[in-house]
Amino acid sequence: MPQVRIILPLSGRLESVVFFLATFLLVASTVGYVLLKPKNEGPPPLLSWQVSSFDGLSPVDQAIHSALLPAADEIIWSNNDTGTWPSITDLQSTLLPPFYEDNFWKTNGEVKWKVIMPGANSTAAVGPPPPSKTNNGLAAFVAPNAVYQGTLGQGTASYYGSGGTAPGQSAYLIVIGHAHSGVYWINQATLWIHKNPNAPFPDILKPEGLVARGWRQIIPYNGASEVERVKGKDNVQ
Amino acid sequence: MFSRKFTGVLSALLAVVLIGLVPQSNAIAADAAAAKFKGKMKVGITLHPYYSFVANIVGDRAEVIPLIDAESNPHNYQPQPNDMKRAMTMDALVVNGIGHDEWAFEIIKAAGRKGTLPLIYANASVALIPINGDQGNAKVVNPHTFVSTTAAIQQVFEIARRLGELDPANAGYYRSNATAYATRIRRLRADFMTRFAKLDLSSFRCATMHAGYDYLMQEFGLSISAVIEPRHGVTPTARQLANTIDEIKKANVRVLFAEKYFANGLAKPIETATGVKMYSLSHITGGPYTADKFEVEMRENLDTLAEAIEYTAHNPKGN
Repeated sequence: MPQVRIILPLSGRLESVVFFLATFLLVASTVGYVLLKPKNEGPPPLLSWQVSSFDGLSPVDQAIHSALLPAADEIIWSNNDTGTWPSITDLQSTLLPPFYEDNFWKTNGEVKWKVIMPGANSTAAVGPPPPSKTNNGLAAFVAPNAVYQGTLGQGTASYYGSGGTAPGQSAYLIVIGHAHSGVYWINQATLWIHKNPNAPFPDILKPEGLVARGWRQIIPYNGASEVERVKGKDNVQ
Repeated sequence: MFSRKFTGVLSALLAVVLIGLVPQSNAIAADAAAAKFKGKMKVGITLHPYYSFVANIVGDRAEVIPLIDAESNPHNYQPQPNDMKRAMTMDALVVNGIGHDEWAFEIIKAAGRKGTLPLIYANASVALIPINGDQGNAKVVNPHTFVSTTAAIQQVFEIARRLGELDPANAGYYRSNATAYATRIRRLRADFMTRFAKLDLSSFRCATMHAGYDYLMQEFGLSISAVIEPRHGVTPTARQLANTIDEIKKANVRVLFAEKYFANGLAKPIETATGVKMYSLSHITGGPYTADKFEVEMRENLDTLAEAIEYTAHNPKGN
């Protein structure tokens, strides 16, 4: 008859404790890493009156926006160099889209563009309205119109596009104002859009005024936004 | 009171002095930059179009150094030891940064330049658009901003702006060159716009092998109906290919754009299965690095695009 002998490990209990402890530590550290790992939060969420250029615009609006961004750079550079704001004719003479009336302009609704200077009394005028003579011979200013009131004293120039006829077309506005001093370029452009392609030029160019009149600011989803989304804010230079 | 004659002589002398100062001030700017960068600034680039952009911006005031060899394929590139050596000598590196040159970040890390090599994200201020015709209708960023004219100009401005920040002594020179280069690119675009203006675009429907041409199509008021590759550089499965062929037939696509410099065995079978006419566009990511490469290959691309539009205009129903 075979003799059965059971051999118990000397440290059986200790091995089990160590095994379970090691497993627990491994699971806990993995869970802790996942929970505490800093997340790439990406660009801040849009506010109710903002719209993303990436997925918030119709194809025609997106195409015009893509052209307006470099155009705004060139307009600002031109102003830095010459001290004046280029007219629509000036922009067309440099073949600059979306102002230049080419095939892009035609397929994207043939938008009519106007430049509006600070304190302009009409879309063609520059400076305050001309004085008129009263009966007693003293000069008096003509009652300023809405555009004059909207742009006077704000130090802004704007380029306004309306009357486009493509499906999904909006009205467009570039507002160029002064950024804080100390930065490389002191002028800064913001782009606005109105779902009515024939929306009138707003009587005020301050953001709250534009929002109240149905304009929405386009937030460009650009390379900096994408780098921030994928790699985190620290990687944006 | 100075006499008129004396004032005239004084003005002439002042003019001579001022005229003499202009080249001198340029020389001072160049000297300041040379002192800062121990000679000329060395600007690295990752992709061929960026070589052209930077070369045209910096002129002879900086050196342009490609990070990888000219004949390398930037799609699925594997970093090489020489890349790291080059990265160690650069004063700045221009990157696409949104998915077309991720290998550059591996090279920078391996070269020990992470955090010390200033990166210029060429697309920092470019409005990105999704890939049109993407399978599954996902909104995926298209990184091919350099195959275009308008987005290319935006990148030229961004690069010039950042180079000016790194090398303030030459900032004005870079900006002036950038504007002149942008004008040339815009002239190229305008030439083709004139040609396109005579064509009927209404029947133009296209598919592409590679999702590289949305920016180009956008600026000509065109769009892409289907893309064969499900993701950048990824070959479609049999099911995905069958779905794309169905889409091409349903959308009455007339033209397929394949890659000029990257062979793809699928283009011919798709042409046979759907009856589309195949054309080839350049991705501008191969061959020698030259200052005029971008303009040369964009001109060829625009020529091809015009031919394709002419074909669809003359063969509206596929006859």
